[in-house]
Amino acid sequence: MDRSYKELLKLRRFPHTWCPGCGIGAVLKNVAMVMKELGWNYKNTVAVSGIGCSGRMSGYMNLDALHTPHGRPLTAAEAIKTVRSDLNVMVLSGDGDLASIGGNHLLHTSRRNPDITVFCNDNEIYGLTGGQAGPTTPQGTKTLTSPRGEHHSPLRLGRILTQQAPYFYARTTVYHLNHFKTCIREALLWKGFSFVDIISDCIELNGRRLGFKTAHQMFKWFDERFHIVEGERDQLQEDELGIAKAVVKEVPRPAEKEEVKPEIPMEGLKPFTLEELERFDGQEGRPIYMAYQGKVYDLSASPLFQGEKRMRCHLGGKDLTKDLDIAPHGEDLIFKFPLVGKME
Amino acid sequence: MKRLVSGNEAIFQGAIRVGANYFAGYPISPTSEILQQAALYSEENPGFRFLQAEDEIAAAIATISASLAGAKAFTATSGPGFTLMQEALGWGHVVEAPCVFVNSMRVGPSTGMPTQPAQSDLLQVKAGTAGDVYPLAFYPNSVEECFRLTATAFNAAEESLSPVILLADAFLSHLYELVDLEGSTLHIVPRTKDPLGSGQRLFTGAAHDKMGNVKTSDPVNYREWLRELKDRHDRVAERYPFFEYLPCKNSETLLIAFGMTSRVVLALKDRFSIFRPIRIYPVLEKELEEVSQSYRHIIVVEGNDGQYASWVECALCQKVMKVSCLGGGFKLKWIQSQIEDGLKGVGR
Ligand SMILES: Cc1ncc(C[n+]2csc(CCOP(=O)(O)OP(=O)(O)O)c2C)c(N)n1
Ligand code: SF4
Repeated sequence: MDRSYKELLKLRRFPHTWCPGCGIGAVLKNVAMVMKELGWNYKNTVAVSGIGCSGRMSGYMNLDALHTPHGRPLTAAEAIKTVRSDLNVMVLSGDGDLASIGGNHLLHTSRRNPDITVFCNDNEIYGLTGGQAGPTTPQGTKTLTSPRGEHHSPLRLGRILTQQAPYFYARTTVYHLNHFKTCIREALLWKGFSFVDIISDCIELNGRRLGFKTAHQMFKWFDERFHIVEGERDQLQEDELGIAKAVVKEVPRPAEKEEVKPEIPMEGLKPFTLEELERFDGQEGRPIYMAYQGKVYDLSASPLFQGEKRMRCHLGGKDLTKDLDIAPHGEDLIFKFPLVGKME
Repeated sequence: MKRLVSGNEAIFQGAIRVGANYFAGYPISPTSEILQQAALYSEENPGFRFLQAEDEIAAAIATISASLAGAKAFTATSGPGFTLMQEALGWGHVVEAPCVFVNSMRVGPSTGMPTQPAQSDLLQVKAGTAGDVYPLAFYPNSVEECFRLTATAFNAAEESLSPVILLADAFLSHLYELVDLEGSTLHIVPRTKDPLGSGQRLFTGAAHDKMGNVKTSDPVNYREWLRELKDRHDRVAERYPFFEYLPCKNSETLLIAFGMTSRVVLALKDRFSIFRPIRIYPVLEKELEEVSQSYRHIIVVEGNDGQYASWVECALCQKVMKVSCLGGGFKLKWIQSQIEDGLKGVGR
């Protein structure tokens, strides 16, 4: 077996802090193996983690690595990629870190679509703090903070992250090794924001409470809960392992239209004085007239004048030329209405 | 050439002139104009990167991370945003990220009086984050000084390897004065730290040794690390002992004021001596001690309920009088009557 991936790990810091049987080691190892294949190393790659057992991963990578406050690795990774687009930037962290305290950043960093890859060690529990319920803990699961079973349904990361293209969301487990590695490889090569949701085990602080005696029993449980789906997908069901991805089709920009202002002859229009105009104020069933650049329009049909018969800012029966010049909307708004006269 | 410039613009221009090339922020009064200028500037200068973040937590984290990636980075906010940035600020000190945080103060706590000026975040500067940190903070009182001290803040950040705070207030942010920005020269300290992507280092908020090995249960290592951090900050602070002292011959009273309050009490300079700290933190202990010796009475006039006064009392080991300008009220007449009342009380 090729063990050269080990040069990507800080072996001098071993033994690591994780419990025997914990899935995090498998995540670190497999990511390192694929990185090695792709030629990623300290010269071209930076790893970022948040806080948690999973958040310890970047510290064992033989690269420049960043260990942020709890929940913030996505923002850090995005900023690094912005400043150094020549670097590969990846995030290695946990479900609590990325989806609970860092949930807001997950929404917004994914929306801004920086070219970074996120590996989420999704053990469905808060490991480091002792086994409290996390954002992805399945409903009904007993944890330290859900002693009678978790009341709420979990966050569906697969749905949140596949709402608007472009996106790359892969779900895999630490047990389905070949699939796991394919997901890592595709995610690292994806241009844009890619997220790998790795179902993983916390044997000590979740598994044992659930009745599992070994990590391997938990892996078998993953095999029962999930199955692999092949081929191109744009969505994954909650029991499916696979890759959901979508690119945006380039929408050709409409050629800029030249603004055509309607030319309206002034002759033959009914002349109004300001006093006359003021009578058409929308009160007691009267229509609403308004003047703009010397012309009088009938704005009775405007939705802005319904109900209270008053727009937010303008009153009927007035010359609006000055108002419209500073209004947030364009003057074309008023050209839509019937022309009924001109100002004297 | 001189032109009318606002405090906010001077801060932004000062940053650009010392080579800032990254800004992250979130809209808040009274610093939104800095965010807006950064947005426009980034459109016209692709080398300058800009992020309108989803909140101030992200803005702060992005600023610090961009700095580690090699950028000269800054952010700008006001009290409530500064509160959200506190955890990141602590992290910035531990991972040694040189960058600048601008906090232009308004009336708090909470939403408070969003458009009214205040000076009530001094304690937040020193003690807003968990643990012991020794931040450097400067506070200008004119548009010209906003420009110069922004540059100073960036330089001190490079030297101290930490986030440096530039304080301002809603009055100063929106004050327009005639200044010649383009004609001014600034001293620039270049980047001091190797950017990310050039080694095998770990930048962690967890306690660690010099090699970057995490050491979360070693008090000896921690003590050494903290002493070194403190020494470094003290050394850099010594380079910037900025203050202004206007002695008044016949006065037995020293007024201490800074930022906008110092502009107001300037009108009393023929009746009282005035001391204006510009480096707000670390407190100018030596300078305060020296100056205060010639005075019977010391009165701190500030836009909060005695925050700087409490530092002066610690530095001088004596009680001082306080004039607290609260809720955005900074009227000279009122300040004057408070001073008179205070002095009557102690039998001037
Ligand atoms: C601001 C803050 N709040 C709370 C904590 C405590 N804390 C440390 S790790 C953690 C949970 C991590 O959970 P997860 O990301 O799922 O990682 P795991 O340990 O399960 O791998 C929490 C709440 C913290 N370090 N910082
Ligand atoms: S507590 Fe759980 S997640 Fe943390 S190292 Fe142990 S098994 Fe892994």
